[in-house]
Amino acid sequence: MDGAKATPGRTAGPYVSAAVLRLAILTLLPGLPDLLTGRVEISTPVTSFKRLQEGLFLYNHNVSPYDGGVYHQAPLFLPLFSLLPSFSSFPIFTYLLYIAVDLLSANALWRIADSGEAGSSALFSSPRREKRWSGFVIAALFLFNPFTVATCIGRSTSVFTTCAILHAIAKAVSGAPFGAMVALSFASYLSMYPLLLLPPLILLCYDRQRSERATKSGLKFAATCLSLVAGVLAVLFQMSYLVTGSWEFLRSTYGVQLTLSDLTPNVGLWWYFFIEMFDSFRSFFLAVFWLHLSSYVGGLTVRIRRQPLVVLTLLLGIFAIFKPYPSISDTSLFLAMVPLYRHVFPLMRHTFVIAAVIMYATFLGPAFYHLWIYAGSGNANFFYAITLVWGLGQSLLVCDLMFAVLRDEWEVERPEMVGKEIRQI
Amino acid sequence: MRQFLPFLWLSLLSLCVFSQAASDPDYHEQLVLRPLPLSALLASFNFRSNTTVSEFEKGNFRFFPRSLGQILQHAGTRELHLRFSLGRWDAESWGARPWHGAREGGTGVELWAWLEADTDDEADRKWLTLTNALSGLFCASLNFIDGTRTTRPVMSFQPEGDHSSDANLQLLYGVLPHEVVCTENLTPFLKLLPCKGKAGIATLLDGHKLFDASWQTMAIDIRPICPTNEDCVLQIEQTVDMVLDIDRSKRPRDNPIPRPPPPHELPCDTSKPYHAHDTCFPVDHTANQDWSLSQIFGKAMKGTCPLTDPDVPPVCLQVPNTRSVFVSEGVREKKSPDQLSRCFEIPPSNDFEIVLPPPDDPGQSPSAVVVTPETPLLYAERSFTGHGQERGGVRTILRNPSPDSVVEFIYMETLPWFMRIYLHTMEARIAGHSQPDKSLVQQVYYRPALDRARGTQLEVRMRVPPASTVFLTYDFEKSILRYTEYPPDANRGFDVAAAVITVLDARALGNHSSSIDGGRAKAAYYLRTTSLLCSLPTPDFSMPYNVIIFTSTAIALAFGGMFNILVRRFVAADEGPEVGLGVVIGGLQGRLQRLVKGVRGKR
Repeated sequence: MDGAKATPGRTAGPYVSAAVLRLAILTLLPGLPDLLTGRVEISTPVTSFKRLQEGLFLYNHNVSPYDGGVYHQAPLFLPLFSLLPSFSSFPIFTYLLYIAVDLLSANALWRIADSGEAGSSALFSSPRREKRWSGFVIAALFLFNPFTVATCIGRSTSVFTTCAILHAIAKAVSGAPFGAMVALSFASYLSMYPLLLLPPLILLCYDRQRSERATKSGLKFAATCLSLVAGVLAVLFQMSYLVTGSWEFLRSTYGVQLTLSDLTPNVGLWWYFFIEMFDSFRSFFLAVFWLHLSSYVGGLTVRIRRQPLVVLTLLLGIFAIFKPYPSISDTSLFLAMVPLYRHVFPLMRHTFVIAAVIMYATFLGPAFYHLWIYAGSGNANFFYAITLVWGLGQSLLVCDLMFAVLRDEWEVERPEMVGKEIRQI
Repeated sequence: MRQFLPFLWLSLLSLCVFSQAASDPDYHEQLVLRPLPLSALLASFNFRSNTTVSEFEKGNFRFFPRSLGQILQHAGTRELHLRFSLGRWDAESWGARPWHGAREGGTGVELWAWLEADTDDEADRKWLTLTNALSGLFCASLNFIDGTRTTRPVMSFQPEGDHSSDANLQLLYGVLPHEVVCTENLTPFLKLLPCKGKAGIATLLDGHKLFDASWQTMAIDIRPICPTNEDCVLQIEQTVDMVLDIDRSKRPRDNPIPRPPPPHELPCDTSKPYHAHDTCFPVDHTANQDWSLSQIFGKAMKGTCPLTDPDVPPVCLQVPNTRSVFVSEGVREKKSPDQLSRCFEIPPSNDFEIVLPPPDDPGQSPSAVVVTPETPLLYAERSFTGHGQERGGVRTILRNPSPDSVVEFIYMETLPWFMRIYLHTMEARIAGHSQPDKSLVQQVYYRPALDRARGTQLEVRMRVPPASTVFLTYDFEKSILRYTEYPPDANRGFDVAAAVITVLDARALGNHSSSIDGGRAKAAYYLRTTSLLCSLPTPDFSMPYNVIIFTSTAIALAFGGMFNILVRRFVAADEGPEVGLGVVIGGLQGRLQRLVKGVRGKR
């Protein structure tokens, strides 16, 4: 089951079938894309396709899309989608673009899986590393995950961020720090939060440098990477400035994420908290929430220094819970990375509870949202309660994976403890 | 001293003579009563006074109310329009609006003014001064017209007065659809009149009747008028239009509960095939067209205002000349040559009363009983589509009744910021066609809303072909607000201001097509749709503490759980120090024993 040995036909299998599945859904169920685009679980104010269309419409009619409260996405989407044939007359081109982005993400994931980085990194080799899934299985798990399919059909622009992050990781594990940093800069430019992935990604790049031109000094390497990211971001911002003609976009895209001025419900924990927050404490808690989100980066990077890919995976899981505007797209990215750790699955303690809680929230979330917004027989607390359960379920998964990975590390020092009961002091 | 006195007398006398001479044409008032179909009566009160601009600038107010004049001077306002409105004009049965809609506003309070300002900031400052001062003067919440409710219309409003072209005038427009217009707004309105509602037609204005009307609008318009070769005058025009339900108004105040009339008093349409002794289809147009002034307004009119221009008859009644009308003694009736209206000249000190008896023949055609209403240039109706509190749509149905002429108009909406409209979904479609027609919308001016800073401003220049109906639709999304931003009655919904439709003058369009692009097209007719009620999703207002605690707990669980795993060491279950309840109890026991031993040892 090694990806390197796979025949071209076998490689193309999941890609072709995933593309066919998506095309079939998009063409056979013409009402579904717009329905999914309107779902709060899929489209957030910063990723919604309908808002992108509005921004595009204003952009094409010479009204600044950032001088309004609807469009909060990166400026470079505007020329990109303007180049495509008009969505209202030729939707197929937009569909093809989204499908291609999904396939590119799957391809990056395939390469990450085939590198074996999850089981044996530069500083650590798991004794269980032989027990793993091939890139084929992992790419298929990503492509056929209902969350991924729904995101693609709902045409949320978070798929571009997902693709950029996966490519950054794939480049890093294949020993191409330059590509990794450029891809991460793109992801950060699109969604801002991937910037927090920079420390573990630099470590991953550092560990996987090609030996012939390796930089020995870690600090020097990190400084190079940081300046590279800063340079690429500066170029992107300059291009955005040229496209929109003003710096207004900074306040409208990143400012909205920082201050949460749009309180549209989503699957995260922020929206209801800041609806109910007293005005005098709003800024304080915004700072606390952002500080909380970034507090994990340092702790995880230091503690799991030997496996930077684990840190990246766990951080993606944490972002899917605690970022300002999360959607199921972020969860699908995390769930795409989790199968890379097939070898530590036996060490996880609460798999059934996690699966049950996530399924429970998946099915009850839309139902409770309907009760609140449409039926009027429930109130906002119904949906809020489900987002809490969803967040708790995911944090349990992150905790459990973290535990399993750490135990796996520990068992290298204490091989006699395999299968024994342990505790933490 | 002796030499001085005659001079003083002379100057005083001249002053009196001068003011008397000037007073005559400077003020007039008129009430026009027009019975409408379906037992309704339109009463239009109009009060108009002039003062020369030079006198005004010196602070010599005569008929111009000083309180208002000082506000205008202080806020640098050159032209002002203020509207207080209530109810809905039923264009289908009542026809065209009075004054061609130029003296009416949407439900609530509307204010627009041309301010003299060099910059936008200066205009905003003056606007703030103006709204706050007017708020105090009219006892209305005009001070709530803040940045989110203020727009600067580009195409819709044109100044009515004559302004010098070098003045830097800025038009600002604010609307409060939620404001309930009531007696406290009428009292200051009447105080602005020279006769203060003590004499003349203003004595008929009574809060009980005015705010019980099916539709009413109070308007104040101030504009400078510069006739050629004469001094500029500042004109203030106060207008009250109301449509009274005759049935309802005739109910005695001490017994207001309506009771069904006995069957033999029901006016029935005998032409219906199913008409019989036990079935009755009510006759719409001729029913209840008998009334008297004191029945309708609760009192008779007390003479005329002595300051009014005697050449303008104070009361006019628009009924066909064939109908008989009884009036009080001493009143002279003047019938107009078009056979459709008559005016009354009233002796200054007598009470005035009109009695309109029921039509002689109940079966005669409606046009013999009431003047057939004029067909408006355009019918407009606006409503929400969709359901749920997440998103919706707005649909405006615009109907051109004319069989041969195109109607061109500007449709303006000012929407609150929490209605996020999607302009790319806006389309205009002719009824009966499935595809939107791009040629209907000619020009769009759009200023998107900014959260908590300003509302949406949408102006669409459209045309409706003859005898057709056009649907203008767009989608919007309802945003959820912070819980402190909801009003106390959050589940009632939020009022959305009326759309203002300015129908452009077709003749002017034909003649000066080039000047229209400069936004100078003359308005032929104004109409406003009803205001709408938009229900937003609401959070649970009762539990901010609970939400803060629950969310914080969830975050603490995740944070604690993860860092617990990160910072603690792994050991086998049987290694390391003991933990648990037993260890704690054991430790406590040991300490206690040591303490007891120590105490004993000291003894």
